[in-house]
Amino acid sequence: MDFTLIVALVIALALIFDFTNGYHDTANAMATPIATGAMRPKVAVGLAAILNLVGAFLSTEVARTISGGIINKDDAGVQITPEIIFAGLIGAIVWNLITWLRGLPSSSSHALFGGLIGATIIGVGSQAVAHDVVLAKVILPALIAPLTVGIVAYLATRFAYFITRRDSGKADGRGGFRYAQIISSSLVALAHGTNDAQKTMGVITLTLIAGGMQDVGTGPQLWVITTCAIAIAIGTYTGGWRIIRTMGRGLTDIKPAQGFAAETSTAATILASSQLGFALSTTQVASGSVIGSGLGRRGSTVRWGMAGQIALGWVLTLPAAAIMGAFAAGLALIGPMGIVLDLVIGSLVIAVLFRRSRQSRVTHDNLHDIDDAGRVVKIRKTPRKASRTASRKDQKKVAL
Amino acid sequence: MIDWSAFLVVALASLFSSAVVVGLYSLGLRLLTTSGRVPVVEPAEFTGAITVLTPKRAAKEAKRARKAAAGPLSPLQKQVALMGAYACFVLCSAAVLYGVYLIVPALHR
Repeated sequence: MDFTLIVALVIALALIFDFTNGYHDTANAMATPIATGAMRPKVAVGLAAILNLVGAFLSTEVARTISGGIINKDDAGVQITPEIIFAGLIGAIVWNLITWLRGLPSSSSHALFGGLIGATIIGVGSQAVAHDVVLAKVILPALIAPLTVGIVAYLATRFAYFITRRDSGKADGRGGFRYAQIISSSLVALAHGTNDAQKTMGVITLTLIAGGMQDVGTGPQLWVITTCAIAIAIGTYTGGWRIIRTMGRGLTDIKPAQGFAAETSTAATILASSQLGFALSTTQVASGSVIGSGLGRRGSTVRWGMAGQIALGWVLTLPAAAIMGAFAAGLALIGPMGIVLDLVIGSLVIAVLFRRSRQSRVTHDNLHDIDDAGRVVKIRKTPRKASRTASRKDQKKVAL
Repeated sequence: MIDWSAFLVVALASLFSSAVVVGLYSLGLRLLTTSGRVPVVEPAEFTGAITVLTPKRAAKEAKRARKAAAGPLSPLQKQVALMGAYACFVLCSAAVLYGVYLIVPALHR
């Protein structure tokens, strides 16, 4: 198969992956401010898209981790070919689609890494994967970050409630946290741009390096950064409409103070990690902080069954996508016919994804991961909230 | 060669920055409330997640806000609290801006 054609194919697939990433992750930044009423959904979604675009331009550390770190190089350049990256992307996209349709919690970042690693192991051999870098910059951060961000969000929530606590019967002004949420959720969207858009940039750069069109060890080029930024921003904006359509249903009970604490911890963790080149899963970090901040509220308990389900989904993603990537790589090794077969399967999958995304049939199952995370924490209903069960039509819509 | 200290740095950095930003903003809100200006921010849009209050409940909240405004503090004390609140909000914004400055290499190279 023509060499530049396969490079072009990989770039197109990577951009589609970038789009689905933004599409899936709008909720990470904007589920909490929409849930507390800090912003109108349309405003929130538009803001998220713009900040993702901006964030993509801010840093390139994560892109460098992917383009220069996880695949070993020798004097002749990286040991993989664009065909292998192509297979890895197909694996990642297929796994993303499956989890999305089945409503399983998943991380697009881990699907991407899994697909690439699986494809490389089959296509080149295990020695081509830089196992220590994968462990240090992908697997360990994935295990540690949701935990630390959960603890930070828990402490931050307790702190916020502690400072604003007043004697019972006195106004505490916690509604004022809604203003702060506008800033903190914007930071999360920005952080998403700095971390997730770069994963695609890293893949495209890796392809260009593998194809001999770019020097080993260099960072992403400007056109790569720009196209990735645009793809993720469009994905974020489109994905937001899905959330807007489902407004009023199935969102978690989140208080402004709690939402602010959760968003601040999420943004701080992702930004600090991007700085050190850790390729985190934004979804996992946002979910961790929603759970942590929920536990920071009075009368909260953990639904361990749900927490276990989410954790299982996270653990499964990398190996499952690796198997998909390996399978695709196996096909690609057959030759041009195998690549065409891969492409046909991939296109079918993308077509299904596209069709499903256009249907307004959004059930709780495929809503979003943040909401699942919110449900992990059960908050005891105090008498103060009892009015919620009363018929809503007769009530003046005021929430303080 | 796993750099364990990097994980510690990320955890401590996020703990510290979250504590500063959340703490300052909360303190600002607390002082604002103390000064008698209880911020009443209604949700921009009502979703299923927001607790909807009855008119009776809402009237009670408004009364509480009025009561807070007529607290036992002297006008001077309220003035000081208000200044403190503004100072907290300014410091909080400065902390956020500094954080953004830190992560953008183009700004300090």
